[in-house]
Amino acid sequence: MLAFVIRRLIGMVAVLFAVSLLVFIVFILIPGGDPAERMAGKNPTPENIQNIRAKWGFDKPFYVQYVRMMEKAGNGLLPGKHSEYDILRSFDTRQNVAAEIKKGIPATFSLCIGAGIIWLVFGILVGVISAVKAGRWSDRAITVLALIGISMPVFWLGIVLRYFFAETRTWFPDGGYVPLTQDPAQWLYHLILPWFCLAVLFIGFYGRVLRSNMLDTMNEDYVRTARAKGIPPGRVLGRHVLRNSLIPIVSLFGLDFAAVLGGGAILTETVFDLKGVGWYAAQSVGGLDLPPIMGVTLYGAFFIVVFSAFVDFAYAYLDPRIRPT
Amino acid sequence: MTARRRGTWLLGVVALAAGISMMVAAYGVAATRSQAAPQANKVGTLKAVLDTVDFLDPQQAYTGQAWWAMWNVYETLLTYKHVDGPAGYQLVPGLAQSLPKISSNGRVYKFNLRPGLRYSNGAKVLASDFKWAIKRGFLATGQGVGFYTDIQGAKAYAAHPTKGGNISGIITNNKKRTITIKLATPRGDFLTILALIFAAPVPANTSTAILNGTIPATGPYRITGYDPNRGFTMVRNKYFKPTKYIPRGNPDKVDVALIGDANAATQRVISGQADYSNAAIPPDRIATAKSKGQLVLRQTANTYYFWMNIREAPFNKLKVRQAVNYALNRGTMQKIVWGGLGQATQNVLPPTYPSYQKLNTYSYNLNKAKQLITQAGAKGAKVTVWARQVTDSVDAATYYTAQLNAIGLDAKLNTLPRATYYSTIGNVATHAQTGWARWLEDYPHPLDWFDVLLNGNRITDTDNNNYAWYSNKKTNAEIEGLKKSQVLTPAVNARWAKVEKEIMAQAPWAPWSNRVFPEFFSKKMGCIHVQRLYGIDLARLCRK
Amino acid sequence: MAEPATDLTLDSASLLAAEEHEVSIVGRSPWYLAWRRLRRNWVALVSLVVFLLICVACALAPVYARHLAHTGPNTVHAGDTVIVSGKPKEVIGGGSHYDAKTNKFIVAAPTYLGPTWWHAHGRFVLGTDNLGRDVAVRLLYGGRNSLKVGIGSALICALVAVLLALIAGYNGGWVDWVISRFFDLIWAFPVFLLAIALSTALAINGFHHFGISIEPGSLWIPTLVISYVLIPYIGRPLRGQILSLREKEFIEAAIGQGAGPLRVMFSDVLPNIASTVLVFFTLIIATNILTEAGLSFLGAGVRPPDPSWGNMIASGQDQIQTAPWLALIPGIAIVLTVLSLNLFGDGLRDALDPRAKVRIER
Repeated sequence: MLAFVIRRLIGMVAVLFAVSLLVFIVFILIPGGDPAERMAGKNPTPENIQNIRAKWGFDKPFYVQYVRMMEKAGNGLLPGKHSEYDILRSFDTRQNVAAEIKKGIPATFSLCIGAGIIWLVFGILVGVISAVKAGRWSDRAITVLALIGISMPVFWLGIVLRYFFAETRTWFPDGGYVPLTQDPAQWLYHLILPWFCLAVLFIGFYGRVLRSNMLDTMNEDYVRTARAKGIPPGRVLGRHVLRNSLIPIVSLFGLDFAAVLGGGAILTETVFDLKGVGWYAAQSVGGLDLPPIMGVTLYGAFFIVVFSAFVDFAYAYLDPRIRPT
Repeated sequence: MTARRRGTWLLGVVALAAGISMMVAAYGVAATRSQAAPQANKVGTLKAVLDTVDFLDPQQAYTGQAWWAMWNVYETLLTYKHVDGPAGYQLVPGLAQSLPKISSNGRVYKFNLRPGLRYSNGAKVLASDFKWAIKRGFLATGQGVGFYTDIQGAKAYAAHPTKGGNISGIITNNKKRTITIKLATPRGDFLTILALIFAAPVPANTSTAILNGTIPATGPYRITGYDPNRGFTMVRNKYFKPTKYIPRGNPDKVDVALIGDANAATQRVISGQADYSNAAIPPDRIATAKSKGQLVLRQTANTYYFWMNIREAPFNKLKVRQAVNYALNRGTMQKIVWGGLGQATQNVLPPTYPSYQKLNTYSYNLNKAKQLITQAGAKGAKVTVWARQVTDSVDAATYYTAQLNAIGLDAKLNTLPRATYYSTIGNVATHAQTGWARWLEDYPHPLDWFDVLLNGNRITDTDNNNYAWYSNKKTNAEIEGLKKSQVLTPAVNARWAKVEKEIMAQAPWAPWSNRVFPEFFSKKMGCIHVQRLYGIDLARLCRK
Repeated sequence: MAEPATDLTLDSASLLAAEEHEVSIVGRSPWYLAWRRLRRNWVALVSLVVFLLICVACALAPVYARHLAHTGPNTVHAGDTVIVSGKPKEVIGGGSHYDAKTNKFIVAAPTYLGPTWWHAHGRFVLGTDNLGRDVAVRLLYGGRNSLKVGIGSALICALVAVLLALIAGYNGGWVDWVISRFFDLIWAFPVFLLAIALSTALAINGFHHFGISIEPGSLWIPTLVISYVLIPYIGRPLRGQILSLREKEFIEAAIGQGAGPLRVMFSDVLPNIASTVLVFFTLIIATNILTEAGLSFLGAGVRPPDPSWGNMIASGQDQIQTAPWLALIPGIAIVLTVLSLNLFGDGLRDALDPRAKVRIER
């Protein structure tokens, strides 16, 4: 157990290091964007550009810059007094990247947790119904619906939802986020469309995975045995089929959930103007703003690594045949 | 319309599948929404929506939105009148007691600070604070430092700015409240440069870190609670005393929300959640906006143009540059780029300038353009058109590229990320042939246009603002000469108009639009005034 | 299952096919049997036909543009009029305009020519966009770009992933370790963020390293970026499958008979994973088309003015009140294409999967 945790921790640090290095190299090796020139504004003087380079350390060799950047990221994350240039700051807004990500977290988490619950519940519902009714018209209808859900670009769905339900008819607010602490009712009201939009893709997807898992499980010997023993079909379904079929769903959910929590819902956040982590990432990429991109990438990678370790663990718990390694 | 129906069908089905329960819940929420009815005739709290601000630090901010807010927060020695129309360009004393005395050689400016001035934290405003503000700009590598390098000793200071260092050209006396500024070279636009918010005094030893809205204010309002990308609040500065030129301001409080999504911003005003939005309303929503609120079109000094690099073939030939100018149907361009909210232009200067004299040389004539291209022997010449990856730039440049192809050039469009666009096209190594650009005035003076954008003596190899690489001995000399004129008399204005005409005869640019900005108010707002430079006059707004 | 969590991909429907293959295929000609099963699945066949029709239509974009629409994808008709049902109509009408006499603007929303269907003899069949370009022509050209990127990146992705999986799965040991860690690394990235970051960075000056030269506006940028970020999604499950194949007797036998590693890989291992790869390939085209659309929507994919379905939606968004077809039509095109691919991929998986028969009959 301890060995598992330690191994995972080492793996996590290694992955985060590699990820950060890769992002850094992408933006350093690819020329064309001297940030000092941008930061000097539209009426720059050569002296000012020089001063900016010196202050931000753009004149240093790239490995020094990398180490400094990581150091600054750490400083930005940890409390304590640091001077202006000792914190990882955005080139554009000069705000502390860690603080900005932190500020995006409520919106991102509100979106993801709500959507996560919806897609899990409805995904399971869709999967169970279509597996139980396999081959009937209701299964076919649900399958087609699920596939349509999977086939829709999420941003397009967002635009269409906004157009029909927030603009043509003003049933819902047209984008934006209200903090839960400020007004819970408005919070809910603003999030319904984004939740739905983000969840649709996953509902279809989970429903289909669950359906085929359940159909496979129904053919397993132990299920047949249970049925033969005369256990009521409902109980067979719940106890044996569903329970075992849900195991892969747990792992899928862990990874997908980690991805969206880590800023993966870029398109949904952008379309609905939810100022979360994904939105922040999209803004920064448009401005070629390396520090926030680095910050958000590390933040996202962190979630993915942690959740995949967590998923492995949950897996072992649910399926005693597997031990965490 | 089948497309629309099919979309509805698709959606209906999907919505059904995900559960009607959510919708029901939403209605419940919608029904409980409440609106506090505002008091009539009193502004109270103004709820404004801006799309974005860069900084709220006087030495750093360089966007119109930030200046719009800070004009009422950080006063400068000289400022502009709170009036409509051309008088809005008139400089008046701000923190200074009166307009300065200028020496006959145009190099020494003497100011007196008004007595009894205080910051919003109660501290006295000292003459030396002005000097600190200029130094702070250099120390904090602010974007405005380029304007102040003509002050004596500023160039040396700029190379190695230190807290203890000195700019010899600024002499202050806190007891007598005097500020004397000496210039290394005379500069006719220096008074307007002093009116830039970059030069707003800040308390001595204010940190050189970026302080968004936390620096004590000298104007009628102070900023609190700045939250980047989300919003800030302006509240009354209790130490402020109104003057003849700086009113107290009608709103007690201004709540500013920062919303980049134009649809969402517009919707806020329509739904009554906001009183005012400055976000550019998408053309398709103009009609709705007009019926559901009040639309005010703000004319500001801006020129959108295509530059042609006179050093690069085929634009090294005058005939090609003229042909391009003839090839643009400027009326159509207004329609496709901003739904018609722009004025076609062939001038460098926008019509808000006193020296503006409408040029009408290049009316749309595709055949003539084709002929000129053939005469120049440029048929089939390969051209790369550069544009910035923002909607209006790409739209305009797409049209431009299509027209270049229509007159016989072989043009293709190359778009760059918004962050690197200007530094790429302003780099000599790019050898950019032609592309999109715009200029929004920093301060109302022709020098801000001709000297920055078209003076050949100011061409630099990197970060060049003269994208056409236009240099002409005659006009360069004229611009340099006009730099020394202190006052924009009708005679000086006439000379500027002549320079403009000479430059446009050489056609380094194909100017096409002076854009107007739709500003959107709820029906409850009244007293909507437009200040030429700073836009909607916040201080004079009232409720109907 | 040694790595339970990581063995599951986003596309686990196809993964299931992979798993099921671990039970080795029995039968003399599995491909023939699969074809027989597929032939009976009319939904899959119709989907395939729909997808092929879309491909053909997009491939014929230049013919359509030249002979029916008489325009190009980037030709601007902003000031033109078109004869619709015998009546002249402005391509773009309305809009605000400046009145020089009063020095005021008269504000009005612009009106765009909507779909003319066939009433304008093939011109502006699906209406115009805000620049007066023919939407139908752009839709076809856009589809060409979207499909090029989608299929191209699926090809590259599958090729690289199969090669890496073969090398890793067959050799095992440190080679396997290195390749697996490479998969892990890409896996740990927030995929979409990596893709937009890479595309945006490459969009500045293109890529000019290691003897490869890609121009900034090239379609190769989104193609390569998408294929790169999705490599582990195919590579990981394949590697697992190959590892288990490696233990099988017939491979041992082949090696025992003195077959070289290359020969074993290509003549013994590859045929056994071919059906999985085929299913993956179909489904990943669908994923890639969606990814490309997302990238283009954020301005990091196909660069304007070249159309792609994604950037058409993005620019149509601004006109959705007055010209909703601009955003709706390309979206519907994406849904149709991706749906047909998904349905076909499903059918293909069922057909290639021996156990699917049991499923259908029950």
